[in-house]
Amino acid sequence: MRELISMLVVSRRQWPWMAAGILLGVVVIAANTALMALSGWFIASMAVAGVTAVPFNYFFPAAAIRALAILRTVGRYAERLVTHEAAFRILADLRVWLFRRLEPLAPAGLERYAGGDVAGRLRADVDALESLYLRIVAPLVTGAAAIVLAVLVAARWSMPAALALFAFLLVAGVVLPHWARHLAQGPGRRSAELSGELRTAVTEGIQGAEELILLGAAEHQAARVDHLSSRLVAEQERLAAIGGFTLAGGVACGGLGVAAVLAAGSVSVAAGVVSGPSLVMLVLFAAAAFEAAGGMPAALQLVPSTREAVRRIRELADAPVPVPDPPAPEQLPAGTGIAFRNVSSAYDPALPVLHGFSLEVPAGEKVALAGPSGVGKSTVAEILLRFRGYAGSVTIGGVEISRLAADELRGLIAAVPQRPHLFTATIRENIMVGNPAAGDVALRRALEDACLAAWVDDLPLGLDTPVGEGGSAVSGGEARRIALARALLKDAPILVLDEPTEGLDAATERGVVARLAARTEGKTVLVITHRPACFALADRVVRMGKIE
Amino acid sequence: MSRDHTARPEKWLLDTARGVRGELVRAVGWAFAAGLMIVLQARLLALACHRVVIENATLDAVLPQAGAVAALAAVRGLLVFFSERRAAAAAARVKEGVRSHLYRKLQALGPAGRAGEETGPLVEAVTAGVEGLEPYVARFLPHLALAAVLPPTALFFVFPVEWRAGLVLLFSAPFIPLLMVLIGSGSESLNRRQWGRLSRMAGHLLDLVQGLPDLKIFGAVRREAEAVARVCEEYRQGTMAVLRVAFLSAFTLEFFATVGTAVVAVIVGFRLLGGGLALADGLFVLLLAPEFYLPLRTLGLSYHARMQGTAAAERIVPLLSLPEPEGYGGTQPVPAGPPAIRFEGVTFRYGGERGGVGGIALELPAGSLTALAGESGTGKSTLVRLLVGLARPEAGRITVNGADLADLDPVAWRERLAWVPQSPFFFKGTIRENLSLGRPAAHGVEIRAALEAAAADAFVDRLPQGLDTELGDQGAGLSGGELRRLALARAFLRDASLVVLDEPTAGLDPENERLVGEALERLAAGRTMLVISHREETIRRAARVAVMAGGRLERVVAPAEFLAAVAGGAGA
Repeated sequence: MRELISMLVVSRRQWPWMAAGILLGVVVIAANTALMALSGWFIASMAVAGVTAVPFNYFFPAAAIRALAILRTVGRYAERLVTHEAAFRILADLRVWLFRRLEPLAPAGLERYAGGDVAGRLRADVDALESLYLRIVAPLVTGAAAIVLAVLVAARWSMPAALALFAFLLVAGVVLPHWARHLAQGPGRRSAELSGELRTAVTEGIQGAEELILLGAAEHQAARVDHLSSRLVAEQERLAAIGGFTLAGGVACGGLGVAAVLAAGSVSVAAGVVSGPSLVMLVLFAAAAFEAAGGMPAALQLVPSTREAVRRIRELADAPVPVPDPPAPEQLPAGTGIAFRNVSSAYDPALPVLHGFSLEVPAGEKVALAGPSGVGKSTVAEILLRFRGYAGSVTIGGVEISRLAADELRGLIAAVPQRPHLFTATIRENIMVGNPAAGDVALRRALEDACLAAWVDDLPLGLDTPVGEGGSAVSGGEARRIALARALLKDAPILVLDEPTEGLDAATERGVVARLAARTEGKTVLVITHRPACFALADRVVRMGKIE
Repeated sequence: MSRDHTARPEKWLLDTARGVRGELVRAVGWAFAAGLMIVLQARLLALACHRVVIENATLDAVLPQAGAVAALAAVRGLLVFFSERRAAAAAARVKEGVRSHLYRKLQALGPAGRAGEETGPLVEAVTAGVEGLEPYVARFLPHLALAAVLPPTALFFVFPVEWRAGLVLLFSAPFIPLLMVLIGSGSESLNRRQWGRLSRMAGHLLDLVQGLPDLKIFGAVRREAEAVARVCEEYRQGTMAVLRVAFLSAFTLEFFATVGTAVVAVIVGFRLLGGGLALADGLFVLLLAPEFYLPLRTLGLSYHARMQGTAAAERIVPLLSLPEPEGYGGTQPVPAGPPAIRFEGVTFRYGGERGGVGGIALELPAGSLTALAGESGTGKSTLVRLLVGLARPEAGRITVNGADLADLDPVAWRERLAWVPQSPFFFKGTIRENLSLGRPAAHGVEIRAALEAAAADAFVDRLPQGLDTELGDQGAGLSGGELRRLALARAFLRDASLVVLDEPTAGLDPENERLVGEALERLAAGRTMLVISHREETIRRAARVAVMAGGRLERVVAPAEFLAAVAGGAGA
């Protein structure tokens, strides 16, 4: 429960909405309980008056019944609106919070949660948070408050009846759900794991469908999916059985509670402490009071899975920042010369990626960094962009980059990373990420320098063509050129290009290299490549060898 | 028009639910029995109250009734439990069945048959989408049946006792479904739009998280954080507008139920005052009044369950009814040995939408290695998909040793093929499991030989767990060159007579490119082979180079001639 509350603290400015929702919930339960109790008392009194012919003022109770009926229905409508309003506001806060927390971690801090997993996990877990307030916290707090209130009210009339009511409300609202929650822990955890595995298997099967068919392994994968699906569904049935058990227990407790109140109340009536009509009132009051406990089992049942989601999100969000900013950053240097001196870096201390690397790129020079894959070429770019920590010394314009604010440092650099991401938006929007203030002329120039202009002009929608999810509607070569145009649009003094011509055919590659050579005149450029065609772009080629 | 559109998914849902009719009938039966217990309980409670209030009975006199109420409560609990179990079982069977059916359909369709849908949303449909059917089957359908039987049952007991109260209930009831339909139909279209917005909102956040490095490079993080807040805010406003209307139907229901109960209380009260009714009867009627409305209110609340179910069905039904690609269905055996392939005027246009190939005439002599070159988007991949039988020519034909591919047994044909696409498929499992995917019976020695032939033995041996190393998501943990070599090992293991490779050396450094190239040469021995490639290293190993441009076969030349043309700048 503490973890769940800690999540709501993230959205503490929505307290008024949360509190208002809970308060309205209590008002609705109170109105309903009072309505039933008053109706019972009213008709019992009328019956007594009918039998004894003692006059009974029925105007007030009849009016009160109508008023309570309206309060109940209107209150319920308001409660629903307010709790949903609160839930959406909380969700918005949580999403923004999560995004801000993940920002300093990317990319090195997110690596452990490999590619597709981080996406699937986040989607499911953030969705699970949606239920945090609406389906867990609000019903639990409302239910608890209503139970206490109901017992206090009953105690005013008959202490034994109040005690009996309390006992059964406690069983229905707290004991049973807790027990159920305990029972649900195992199946809840297993069903979360299984749905993850199922998602992976389905993704594999759909992505690799053609290959599976040709390998004759399609049936094998389908059987795997069926098997995972059956196991998941079996766990879900187990959870549903536990839910049914709580529901049934609640129903039984309701009846038992009413029977107990009837018995305890009739003792009080016989003793002359409580009037006959008040007994009827108490019995109906008790029956209605169980509505207060009704929402609690369902809420408690959601706790384990939501807590698991919160734990995973916390694990992700509370991870240490891989490359923290210095407390007092130095001023940005005027020069753009880059120097690596005896630099080492490792993803894993046992497997150094870069060891004793040195490289000097004077301002305005263009250097190509070549070498086989796995030698740490891309790591050099990531260190320069402050995506990765290092040992040794890396300076820009003579200033150690670890003493600069990373955001300001990156302001000096335009880069095409090893795996550029295309956002689910249009070509234009993707390129404008580089510089949202750029005008049409600059945009056109970036397109031409990335050899995209002809292709874009041929598209029916031109620059407004969507690139699909993660760039899936464009080819790999087109995606890379869009990323290149994005970097060129930024027009920064330093350019870091990681395999800018990957996936291009020879003719296009030559075109891109020629345009780039002209475009980057006077800039400091680091090109990471293993393609000889790109060497034409550089004043000097530096080859990196394997670490021994 | 829109009526037809909404009626179909619901009809499909009902048809699907028919398969679990037995479970559903039992679920409703148990719940109905539990409803009868309520009536009995109300009768006993009313009688007990009557005794105490009117007849001044003591505890001893009402204890039997109180005990009976308690016993009934326990029985009712048990019945409710049975009903819930059956409803959950019904939903479970539906989910299993639909998921299996849907997954197999999507897998069989392949990327070309999926009407341009991305993988993510399709996975979503198979996993979370199918889950959306549960509330419809387990809640909405049983609640619908109960709403039809329980209120008349309550009336059946109320009328003989106090017909005026019975009339109040009877006449208030029809308004409830009527008003709900009026309000519900208005909010339905709004609601549907909202579902779309929800998935867009989730996608938006993930997209930004995946692109965080790029956003950081371009200093766009703050701007996008504001966009996250803005998208959420728009979603909140949109959803609340829908909910304000959607909750009105629940409001109407509760209003009628509450006011109806209040009116019954007042009528009963005055009848009691007039002495025309006993308290036992009056209280019985009052206790039954909420129970009369309860199934209707529950049905109203499961409106959301219905929305969820129809939304899921609207997603699933179109996928299930996508046309199956026109595959091959021949029966002739496939000739042994490396096949000689001929493309004769082959045309395929993806239904005329885009790209494709036209009028291809190409020969792949038995046991030859042919390279396929050309700029991206010129139809190379289409040609390959036609050859391996994933697509069928719209015109012309492909022959294998003179026999039309269309007449050959497609399963036997596939067994003779090895295909290595640009990004080979590796599922979450060990290297060994992934290698033997195309040949489950392969034993250790064969796997070893395949790894050696593909120059993959060295790095596999270096892995701490060797062949039993788990490949994570999309083969994470190994470099692109290493994965490519594993895919080649899989092709070796398959021992096919026709091998097709798509850019086997793209993105590899010279060292890896050389290793893969040599492996290719070994693989080519005794097999007919087609390789899509632009790389000199690969093309030099081919016997001939087929050059494609704009969906046509431009020319077939010797590798030296092709390379000279590229070097001279005429390759474009």
